This record gives sequence, structure tokens and C-alpha cells, in this order.
Amino acid sequence: MDIIKILENTVAAFFGIDAAYFALAAIGLNIQFGYTGLLNFGQSAFMACGAYGLGMTSQYFGVGMWWGILIGLALVIILGLLVGIPTLRLRADYLAIVTIATAEIVRLVVRSVRFKQYFGGSDGINSFSTSFRDLSPFDPGAQYGIRPFQYSGYSLWTMIVGWSLVIFFSVLVYMLMKSPWGRVVKAIREDEDAVRSLGKNVYSYKMQSLIIGGVVGMFSGMIFALDRGSVQPDNYSRDVTFYVLTALVLGGVAKVRGSVVGPMMFWGIYVFSDNFLRELTKDKPFDIFGIGIIQKSQVGPVNYMLIGLGLMLLMTFRPQGVFGSKEEMALDGR
Amino acid sequence: MTDTDNSKSRSFGVGRAFAVLLAALFMFSVPDVAQAADAENSIIVSVQNQANNNGVSEKKPVAGVKVSVTGLSGIAVGDGVTDSSGTATIPVPAKDDYVVTLDVASLPSGVTLVEGTKTVVNIVKDAFTTNTKRVTFFAGSTGESGASLFDRIAQRLVDGVRLGLIIAICSVGLSLIFGTTGLTNFAHGEMVTFGGLIAFWFNVLLGIPLLIAAPVVIALGGVLGLAMNGIIFAKLRKRGIGLISQLVVSVGLSIMLRNMFLYQFGGRTRPLDDFSLQVAKSFGPVSITMRDLSTTIISLIVLLSVAAYLQKSRTGKAIRAVSDNPSLASSTGIDTQKIIRVVWFAGGALAAMGGLFRGLDEQVGFEMGSGLIFLMFAGITLGGLGSAYGALVGGFLVGLLVELASLVVPAELKNAPALLILIIVLVVRPQGILGRKQRVG
Repeated sequence: MDIIKILENTVAAFFGIDAAYFALAAIGLNIQFGYTGLLNFGQSAFMACGAYGLGMTSQYFGVGMWWGILIGLALVIILGLLVGIPTLRLRADYLAIVTIATAEIVRLVVRSVRFKQYFGGSDGINSFSTSFRDLSPFDPGAQYGIRPFQYSGYSLWTMIVGWSLVIFFSVLVYMLMKSPWGRVVKAIREDEDAVRSLGKNVYSYKMQSLIIGGVVGMFSGMIFALDRGSVQPDNYSRDVTFYVLTALVLGGVAKVRGSVVGPMMFWGIYVFSDNFLRELTKDKPFDIFGIGIIQKSQVGPVNYMLIGLGLMLLMTFRPQGVFGSKEEMALDGR
Repeated sequence: MTDTDNSKSRSFGVGRAFAVLLAALFMFSVPDVAQAADAENSIIVSVQNQANNNGVSEKKPVAGVKVSVTGLSGIAVGDGVTDSSGTATIPVPAKDDYVVTLDVASLPSGVTLVEGTKTVVNIVKDAFTTNTKRVTFFAGSTGESGASLFDRIAQRLVDGVRLGLIIAICSVGLSLIFGTTGLTNFAHGEMVTFGGLIAFWFNVLLGIPLLIAAPVVIALGGVLGLAMNGIIFAKLRKRGIGLISQLVVSVGLSIMLRNMFLYQFGGRTRPLDDFSLQVAKSFGPVSITMRDLSTTIISLIVLLSVAAYLQKSRTGKAIRAVSDNPSLASSTGIDTQKIIRVVWFAGGALAAMGGLFRGLDEQVGFEMGSGLIFLMFAGITLGGLGSAYGALVGGFLVGLLVELASLVVPAELKNAPALLILIIVLVVRPQGILGRKQRVG
């Protein structure tokens, strides 16, 4: 077993692009779920808005990459209104059901054969990242840095952009939550009726929070799409939302540093367990008393099983995660 | 005992409970026969006859078709003849690029490939997501041009009734659990999958006839429901954990169980042995297999019995009382915890039954229940969250709607209208069709 390699990969995963795009998605989800108490289970759909907004620019509209952000914003606002208008007046779990259902519709539509000419079907969209690639100051062919932090020029470029966005939005959310607006949304989470009695338009604040969180999620989808150089519909399944949620809970809900460090830890743990199990089953199935427990092909499911178990245990025993405070997790739907 | 001691011992209890659950689920370890064969790289060629009887697409396997696999350079790698399930497994040395060719001359007389289907399929190396790559050739004629609009609507209605009844059976428990405990259980779809997979285990791996196995499957589903409540959710309620947190726990449970099923069962969908090959019988404009007709009638009887039970029996009345107002019910002397256990058992049993029927209707796979959960949610919201009859009516309507929708939208998007209806219902009548008018905001 190559322990050095496993540890190297683990350390690299803490700062990798996956952690960056998860952090962006988690910052968005944190605005909605952590600060406002909106149970958005459709963050993957907001991420898809960003990715497809970007992907469709050069492919179908023949406009530059910067338009992707505008198209993405338009899509996010449409989606936010679509799920927000019917549900934000209702109990929290209605929003959960509608967002998860809408995210599934979005995924079905973009991967359908019927709309293949717009969204590329299950193959998705490729070749839209050229103009982003051209902006890169690094030589795409060269390797930068030292192990385990060694990246090709393009990866380094997406990572720098990704983590810059993470820092930018972290600061923004931190300031936003110190502002009067932040105090109102936090009050909505604690007691909606009290806020309403103070003459605030709760519905409007919730909608703003949903859309602002969605916009940050949109940037997450863009970074992910740019890094992979392609947009694939199945990368935006509901499970992505749940993994982001797990990462957020791990870090600590309603805390800015929780939403950044949580995803880093999530990926660190995930990569460690994945690498470890793969090494364990590389030559022969891992067995206990001669009974094969984990085959090579079963490493994936076992890993995700652990994520599910981790989410359950976290919510039960340490709902505040690493950085959160217990008072801010006292959410109740009824 | 001080407060901290108390909470510590309680949290230890929950921890142990989680461990028991985990161990219990691993013990269900289905020694997967098919998985062993998967260990080697292979290409599975499947030839299916999509005979279209008045718009109902019945997939029938085509046996005795010669298929061959060659490498890119034209060197023959292997060939095979499809068996009674219409598949031929051809082992290949490695995950690489291959060409699969179907010998058209070997097709049985009267069977032709669907228009536009190529007889030669290229497989690229990356297409091997697992050790096996499945290639399907569709034979028969498609297109519903032969059937009149009336016939197509009639056929869709029949299919819709079938799907609607299955959704209704699956979602009764979901709605009752919500009504009695307030939990929106995202893991309910996994209870459906559990029913299907256990049925597969009994029927295919152990070779027990389905008619004998079915009661055991349903009972085991109930036991799973009881276990979920007893090991997890009852403990969470006792600890005073909020409903939203419980909801997130159920999401974690859903992820864990789904991947456990994937771990045990593998990623493919497989048919049950019994009643898998059926010939559709025509009744006027519609055609239905005897199997589907039987499951439809059984579903209907089960649902009517559930409704009668809730309406007439003592326990049924107590369930409705707890659904209506848990604290008031408890103050009139109803043992709410007992009622909640009954609801979880019944919900799990019905979900397992739904999974069994769904497995007969389509195939069994690790995602069969999680694919239905959206429709179940749409159904219970449409009917009225927490209302038992609402789940029956709403689930039924959603199933009907999904099948009717496929007349106008492509089949791959047929779930979308049901989910749009969900959104519209929430705007217009958030309490649903049968829900009580109350503040839900």
C-alpha cells in the first residue's frame, strides 16, 4: 500500500478544484439554508444554470464567454421565481419537495433527445472554454508547483479563478450577514411571524436570499464546467446537492468559514477513503475471515454509503459541524 | 443522574442503534451471482422486440440472433447467440474499442430491426463504466400511427391506472408517516426498492416462487419500516431533534441505503423470474398482460382495504386521529407511539408491495424506488399532505397523468408534467385536494 501517495492525494484534495466548486455551492446553500432557513434541495439546478449558460454561449449563440454569466443570471432568476413563488409562503418542507422536483425536471430536460439541439442531450456540451483558456497567463502544457501541489497550466488557472471567487463570495457573505439585510434574514430563520409583525416583507426577503444563493451556486457550476471543459447533465443530479449539503453541515451551518472549510474537509476525507479503499482492493477483494467484503468495483458505492452515514451521524450528534453553533441549527419545520 | 449523563447515555443509545442498523443491512448481503460474472470484462448484447400493440410497448426478448464482436483492426474477438432472455454475453480481454455486429439474417422471420437502428455499433473504451458494456438492438416496428387517437388514449388510461395504483400503494405510508410524525421521509423510495430487491433475492437467487415469497417480502418491508422508526426516527424524536434535521437525516439514510443496494445488487436492472414473459391480451382497444391485470386488481383491492381499515377499524380511526392532531389524540388516551409504529410497519409493507409490483411491471434495480419518490411526493402533495385518502387519490391521479402526458410529450419527459402540476397545486390550493384548509405557511 502506497501510503505516501494516498496522503499526497488527500492533501491535494483539500485545495483542489473540486473543493473550490463545492465551496462555492456550499456558500450559496449556506445563504439559503444556513442563514434564511430555506431548505433548497435543488442547488444542483442552479449550478446547471451556470454551466449551461456558459456552455450555450459559444456553442449556440455565438457570443463570447462573458455573456454566459448574463445568460446564467437570467436562468437563475427564472428558476428562483419558478420554485420560490409557489413555495416560499408555505412550510419549509414544501420548498424542499419542489426544489428537488424542479432540479430533476431541469436534468431531464437538458439530457432529453427532444432538446438535444439546445443542450446536447446526454453528451452535454463541449468546446466552449476556449476564450477562458486564452485568458490564462500560464503555459497550458507546462507543469507548475511541486508535488503534491502540481498542476498543469490550465488547472492552475481554473483553481486560481475558483478560489478567488470563493474568497470574494466569502467576504461578500460575511459583510452581507453583518448588514441590516443579513439581520433580517437571520431573524426570518428564527421567527418568521415576529419579522412580519415588524413590517418586513418576509416573502420578498426569502426570494432575494434564494436567488442570491442561487447566483453563487451558478458560479460553482461555471467553475466546474470550465475545469472539466464540458457540461454533462448527469453532473447535476440531486445527489450533488446532497453532497454539498453534507459538506456544509460538516463545516458548520450559518458560518462563512464552515461553508469553505467544510467542502475542503469533505473532499479530503472523500479522496482519502476512496484512495485507501482502492489500494486495499487493488490486487484482491478486501476480505474478513475469507469472505469478500469489498470488490474493486464496489469501492464507489461503499464510499457514498459512508457519505450518507456521515450525514446521518452529523445531523444527529453534531448538527453544528466543526465551526457552527448549536443555537443556529435549531431549525424546526412545524 | 445529571442532565449531561442522561444525554450522554441517550446519545450512546442512538450510536449503538446506528451500528445495529448498519450491521443488519450488511447481513442482508445478497451473494450476488451475477456480480461474479461481471468481474471479467464483457459486452452484453441484448436484442429486444419492441412490439407495439396499440401504443403499448412490450419489450420481448429475441432469442437465437447471432452477434459478433471484433476489435477495431477487424480481428474477431468473440461471438454469441442470444438466449431466451434475448441477451448474449461475450467476454472481451480488456476495456477497449470494439465493434459489435448483428447478423440480420439470423433474426427470426417476421422480426426486423427498428427503422434507423444500425446493425453495427462501435464501442469506445470510455463507454465501459463498469466491467460490462450493454448494447441493445431494438427489433419490431415502432410508431403509433396504426392506432387511432381514441385507442391510444384508452391504452394510456389503462397504463395510467396501473402506474397510479402502484404510486398510491407506495405513498400511503409516506403520507401517514408525515401525518403522524411530521417527517418528510426522503428514504421512502428506498423502502420501495427494498421490496423489489428482496423479491429478486427470493425469486431469482433462491428460486422460490413469487407467489410464496410475496407475503414474506411484504412482511420484511414492514420490518424495515419498523426498524427505520425504532432505530433512527423514534430515537431522534426522543432527543427532540427538529423536523428539518430529521428530514436531512432521512436524506442521509436514503443515500446510504441506495448505495448499499448498488453495492449488493450492482448497477444493472434485472427482471424477476416468475411472470416475466407474458403475452398481452387484447380487450377491445386496449391490450394488457394477465400479470398486469392481476397486479392492477390486487392493487385496487389492497387500496380499498386500506381505506376501509382506516375508516372502520379502531386502529384506523386512531391513526386518523393522530394524523389530525397528535397531542389531542394522545390526551384522549391513544398510545401515539404505538400508532406511529403501526404506521411505519404498514407504510413499509405497502412500499415493499409497491416495489414488488413495480419490479414485475418494469424490472428490478437499485434506483427503482428513488425514481418514483418524486411522483410519490407529487401525489401526496396533490392529495393533501398527511391525509391518508389524499395519498390514495393524489398518487392515483399522478400515475394517470404521467401516462396520459406521454401522449403529448416525449416519453423521456413524461414525469415533467406531473411535477409541474405539483407546482401549480401549491400555488392554487396548497392544502391539496383532500387536505384540510389550514395555514401551512
